[in-house]
Amino acid sequence: MSGAGRAVRTAVLAAAVLSALSGPARAGQSVAVTDSLGRTVKVPGNASRIISLEPEITRIIVALGAGDRLVGIDFFLRHQDHLFPIIAPAAARLPVVSNQGQELNYELALRLRPEIVFASPSEFRMAESIEKKLRVPVVSLASLGRIDALVGEIALLGRILGREERAARLAAFVEERLGPLRRGASGSGEKGRPSIYLSFWGSLVRTPVVYEPVDMAGGRNVAAGLLPDYLGAAGATVSVEQLVVWDPEVILIQGSYPPAERRVTVEGILRDPRLASVRAVRAGRVHYTFGYWYWWDPALVLVETVYLRRILHPEDGPASSLAGEAEIVFKEFYGVDGAFAALCRILRCHEWIPK
Amino acid sequence: MSGSRNRTRTTAITVVAIVLPLLLFVLSLNLGTYRIPPKDVLPILTRAVFSGGGGESSPAADVLIRIRLPRLLLALFAGAALAVSGASLQALFRNPLVFEFSLGISYGAAFGAALSLVFLGAKVPAQAAAFVFAVVAVLAVLFVAGRAASQVVTILLSGVIVSALFQALLSLVEFFANPYALQALIFWLMGSLGQATWTDLAISLPLIGVGIAALIGLRWRLNVLSLGEDEARTLGVDVRREKVLVIVLAALTTAAATAVTGVISWIGLIVPHLVRMAVGPDNRKVIPLSAAFGASLLLLADDIARSAFAFEIPIGILTSVVGIPFFIVLLKRSGKVWL
Repeated sequence: MSGAGRAVRTAVLAAAVLSALSGPARAGQSVAVTDSLGRTVKVPGNASRIISLEPEITRIIVALGAGDRLVGIDFFLRHQDHLFPIIAPAAARLPVVSNQGQELNYELALRLRPEIVFASPSEFRMAESIEKKLRVPVVSLASLGRIDALVGEIALLGRILGREERAARLAAFVEERLGPLRRGASGSGEKGRPSIYLSFWGSLVRTPVVYEPVDMAGGRNVAAGLLPDYLGAAGATVSVEQLVVWDPEVILIQGSYPPAERRVTVEGILRDPRLASVRAVRAGRVHYTFGYWYWWDPALVLVETVYLRRILHPEDGPASSLAGEAEIVFKEFYGVDGAFAALCRILRCHEWIPK
Repeated sequence: MSGSRNRTRTTAITVVAIVLPLLLFVLSLNLGTYRIPPKDVLPILTRAVFSGGGGESSPAADVLIRIRLPRLLLALFAGAALAVSGASLQALFRNPLVFEFSLGISYGAAFGAALSLVFLGAKVPAQAAAFVFAVVAVLAVLFVAGRAASQVVTILLSGVIVSALFQALLSLVEFFANPYALQALIFWLMGSLGQATWTDLAISLPLIGVGIAALIGLRWRLNVLSLGEDEARTLGVDVRREKVLVIVLAALTTAAATAVTGVISWIGLIVPHLVRMAVGPDNRKVIPLSAAFGASLLLLADDIARSAFAFEIPIGILTSVVGIPFFIVLLKRSGKVWL
């Protein structure tokens, strides 16, 4: 997941400023946006035919109530994602315009007559290539592990799609859920933040250097600052010895894999003799978390942050059922009942989330 | 006079070959992100040996016994395995460009690991699948070469074909992999010693050790074989049998190493050349010296990979980025290739 975290934040800030200063986009009017690659792109206001090759953006488009404007989606969402068919069953059946290697089928894309294409900034050559071949504006966006960037993305897409009110409502919903957590995290000070090691991407030693849900839930990512800021949410490879040196109080494992596909498991880490002296192992504080979902799902990352707060700070006391809270979040974003329960059946997350 | 100078030079290189890996091993034991005072290293090791490895449990003992020691032993054995296999195959085929990649071993192992990581799940460990397919690749090479397996060109051509086939199969698996499995696969393909465990070593080290010992034992016969097939036959050597034996041993040794470390390239090509530049083409010296310098080089590369930064640089990248320019400089200086 390469890209420029700084560029994302700049883009999101710019988008937020633009959104605040200009009126809503109207059909026929063009809107100037700066994307995650720092490119300024003129896009048609209120586009009605959209191709999205970036799952995070596709999910936000659905959440904004503009899923019916999608005319093509990427391979992952159609064939490999177990969440998208739950939250957007109609959109999950749309034509697939990319292959497993994330290459666009140009002829099919052209036939679908898109007015705008959304792409991932990690495929940085793709944007210009699509623009040249299809003569359609391409916007490359990703939040790269930062929740503020995700909220900015929702605002930017709301403006592009003429769905500002819905975007503002989602942003307010996110703030309503995360505001208290953010205030709690900033109030607990450095000493009150347990140190967290994240084992992501199916490897014990691969870890993201930026993962804001941890910070927002009142934790401290031990790998923060390991790579320069401009690398955004890139993963670093560390040694097992480094993990022992960090001696984290909590270890979190990416749990977005179905159990049969998991290479790193809670049981495996608890039994690993190399990690016997690590505080998290001694205290049994090794947990799954949701982690990246081929980029993020905006509803799930909100649920994840609430979940992390509860396992990192159990002293906060009993709260409402997490599963119930998660259903409210998914209902707000996608208007679907029972989405979280359906996802949990696949991931068997009812075995590891607090009741 | 010149002969005496050569003998002195060979003696000096032999002494370096014995001392260097031992020195690096001791140094490496004291190197790492977890600081263990040098005075504590020997007592921890001694206590572990006398308690059968299970006695003491402290962070320092865990790091030294369960993390650092298996990693260093794997570096020593894998480095020696890759270098000895490369040297043996180059001597056998009388071709300086032959190494484990030429016989499809690396791509066979990579394909096996890919199958495990992408489709077979945790029930079939990547290490086991890598080993099985590395052996399958070599058997395929021997099968394709058929009765002409004693001819250099035939077997190399078979190696190229089998390599290309496994490379294509690997690409196919990558193409169908979901993004999360693909991440794990790319990571494996870059090579790493960082996750070595005693369980891995219990299987791979005996295989590697036996393979290296057998190839060192065959060093005299490699000298005869490297004279050419006709000359070897005249001297009473069963060329086909000897060639198959060397190929199978080199394959088993490399497969056992690659299965645990992932793909680590260039050691098998660079080290034998460096050794031949230093002592000449006599395989009686080249094979054991390659083992010593291969072990040292991989140990040194791993020290850099794990100590230069708080994060790790994949060792496969490091051996290529550092090894190739170094090799080019030496090649330019010497102006010829020894064989």
